Amino acid sequence: MNICGYYPESINEGEGLRASVFLSGCKHYCKGCFSAKTWNFDYGELFDGKRQREIIREMAENPLLDGLTLAGGDPFFSAAEASSFIDLARESIPELNVWMYTGYTFEQLAARPESDEYGLLRRGHVLVDGRFEQDLRDVSLLYRGSANQRLIRIPESLERGEVVLWEREKAFM
Amino acid sequence: MSMTLPFSPVARNAESDALEEITKLGRDIADSLDTETLRENANLNGDSFSGKMSKFGSEYAKWYARLHILPREVEAAIRGNTVYVHDLDHYAVGTTNCIFIPFDKLLAEGFSTGNGDLRTPRTIMTAMALVAIIFQCQQNAQYGGVSANKIDHDLAPYVGRSFIKHFRKGLSYFESFKEGRESLTDAAAPEGPADEDIYMDNTELRDLYPHAYRYAYQETRQETFQAAESLVHNLNTMSSRGGGQIPFTSINYGTCTSSEGRLVMESLMESTMRGLGQGQTPIFPIQIFKCKKGINQAMGEPNYDLFLKAIECSTKRLYPNFANLDAPINMEYYVPGDPNTEFATMGCRTRVVADRFGRNHLSGKGNLSFNTINLVKLGIENGVALGKRKWADEEGFYEMLDEALNIAMQGLLHRYRIQAKQPAKASDFMMREGVWEGGDALGPDDKVEDLLKHGSLSIGFIGIAESMKAMYGKHHAEDEDVYAKALAAVRHMRAYCDAMSEKHNLNITLFATPAEGLSGKFTKNDAKEYGCIPGVTDREYYTNSFHVPVYFQTPAARKISLEAPFHEVCNAGAISYIELDGNVRSNPEAFRKIVTYALDQNVSYFSINHPIDRCTSCGHEGIIGESCPSCGKKETEVHISRLRRVTGYLTGDYQTRFNGAKQAEVRDRVKHAGQAAPKV
Repeated sequence: MNICGYYPESINEGEGLRASVFLSGCKHYCKGCFSAKTWNFDYGELFDGKRQREIIREMAENPLLDGLTLAGGDPFFSAAEASSFIDLARESIPELNVWMYTGYTFEQLAARPESDEYGLLRRGHVLVDGRFEQDLRDVSLLYRGSANQRLIRIPESLERGEVVLWEREKAFM
Repeated sequence: MSMTLPFSPVARNAESDALEEITKLGRDIADSLDTETLRENANLNGDSFSGKMSKFGSEYAKWYARLHILPREVEAAIRGNTVYVHDLDHYAVGTTNCIFIPFDKLLAEGFSTGNGDLRTPRTIMTAMALVAIIFQCQQNAQYGGVSANKIDHDLAPYVGRSFIKHFRKGLSYFESFKEGRESLTDAAAPEGPADEDIYMDNTELRDLYPHAYRYAYQETRQETFQAAESLVHNLNTMSSRGGGQIPFTSINYGTCTSSEGRLVMESLMESTMRGLGQGQTPIFPIQIFKCKKGINQAMGEPNYDLFLKAIECSTKRLYPNFANLDAPINMEYYVPGDPNTEFATMGCRTRVVADRFGRNHLSGKGNLSFNTINLVKLGIENGVALGKRKWADEEGFYEMLDEALNIAMQGLLHRYRIQAKQPAKASDFMMREGVWEGGDALGPDDKVEDLLKHGSLSIGFIGIAESMKAMYGKHHAEDEDVYAKALAAVRHMRAYCDAMSEKHNLNITLFATPAEGLSGKFTKNDAKEYGCIPGVTDREYYTNSFHVPVYFQTPAARKISLEAPFHEVCNAGAISYIELDGNVRSNPEAFRKIVTYALDQNVSYFSINHPIDRCTSCGHEGIIGESCPSCGKKETEVHISRLRRVTGYLTGDYQTRFNGAKQAEVRDRVKHAGQAAPKV
């Protein structure tokens, strides 16, 4: 598995200050994707155990982080490896909050409980789902690029069997 | 005093040289040949006629001061690039720097501008209009900034007066009909409650006269919003100092918990978020939210909602900044219930609280002047940077530092004597109206010395980072031992200031200099003398005060905790910044978390920088690269205005108003949060 980007502190991929890791490789090939070069699974640097532990240590040492965001590429094309990374991180940060970006829909990922994709899904708290649709592009949307994409609370959605949208807590509304 | 500092020889120019120099200065200004001089101050349009006129005056005044007024040692230290005398153009005439204005007193008693007398205002609309006028008058009486240290408390009574006015009107409109009165005379003169019982928080009043109360409440809210909106507009459009400058205004607020005071704050922040004209970010006033536990720092505290609003406002408009009333250094003179003892700033960062003559509060005094020491030069002379020695010569460093401190001090005292012998009439509005506490008791020709002693004289410094790099090969964020040495050097300077306060019986304080015109000057001269030294003179600027260099990658939390201990030492003021990239207005929680962390680390004064770009075609604000993400226009087609902060002040468009060194510093700023990332 390769990563094509790592930001130790980002405010752009989810609520609060988050570490963002971009996993290389995507087969959705959305028209208008502004990082098409990350479709290539060999793009970027090798995300081996050493690099993973480095990033986990940085996260553990940062008192301001609200969590981790996996983006890409699309992490769900490397679902098993991404799950292992989350598990490794939770050995040192048990309460690690995880957001994930994907071109799949929540319904597609939730349909097959035995799959690696489902395994990754259930490790996360919030999913930003759906392909990037150029016609639905809207720069004013929170944490996403086109209007079809959704911010979904994963645990609640899995429990109820229907999509529960993520909403910001009242304080800043 | 032995002279070990590497000064250039003190050769006063021959008359013909002097003539040539002053002639060149004039030509450069008139023909806009020297943009660095014209842009020295980002708040002044140096290309305009009035900007140039003021440059003529100020450049001649500087030249005159250097040639005829300054003590020889100080002049030599300026020439030697070791010490910088700020606002040299005001040296010879004895102008003072900045002030906290007692708005409560001026508004309650009324005042005179010199051309006309003004009564105490009866409404918040008028009060806020007078605030702008007071700022403008005061700005002309000094060379630095003007600040309101408790505008929420100062203006709350005038919201109250508006409420009374509207309530009485409401009473005559609605309530008098209730008891079946029919005669017009009865209706026109309802008895109603006494003035002192008419205020927003009086629930009894609300229950007894629901219609009048409701009417008054809504009218007052509306009026206060309008008043705040026009204040913000006024402070960005009026000129002072011969028309060349917009007053350097700052307003501090956060702790007033009455409905009236809260409305003042809410209105100011709403107006700021709405922006000027078609929605531009207001450059002035600098706004500072005063953070205090028990009042506005946690859920359930009376002004916590306003703290969150301040966060929201700052994500959109870069202001307010955050002042930490709970930091130990700011608790020292804090008296609960007396807002005049609450820490506030002049906006850029200047802090004036303690007074050895007993005025341990803020309003009615300010900083008198400050001189800044170039620590980098001392580092280069005594460090390993030039390859002359293997180990840093710390003894040599401290010897030179003491000498630089002595010269900076000598300059301050010399200037103070010029300032102190000025008659009250020289500072005009400031003394006549008692803006400076006690000034109104002086006659026009009385000397101001006895009052000025309550102000502060400060020694500032620049470039701890490059200084340490030159000394030890690493700066203070790269090595723990070097960090300890950096902190020790700053503590040494503070101890010097404390000792001089005792010796001269004056308020001498240590300042983390905001280095606007200075950030490039020192560097340029040192680079000329020593050549390009990597990590020391290889950039166009030196790092501000004790800051971790803007080009150094480090997590936000670490930058904050490295800088925090310096705040306690710099009693003349300091600020820490964090740089954020990305559209922070859509993620205020990240912003709040960083602010709260900085406050918990006892950072005294804090702010977050983030880019605000604005497409002048469609008005979209946020981060704009080569083309506007909203309307798609390219930067080659439309003007993209890029707002940035420099030495605490915002400036409309950094590429045209910043000087070269500051532009370079902005380019180099490392963001603590990544660039806009791909969205799948």
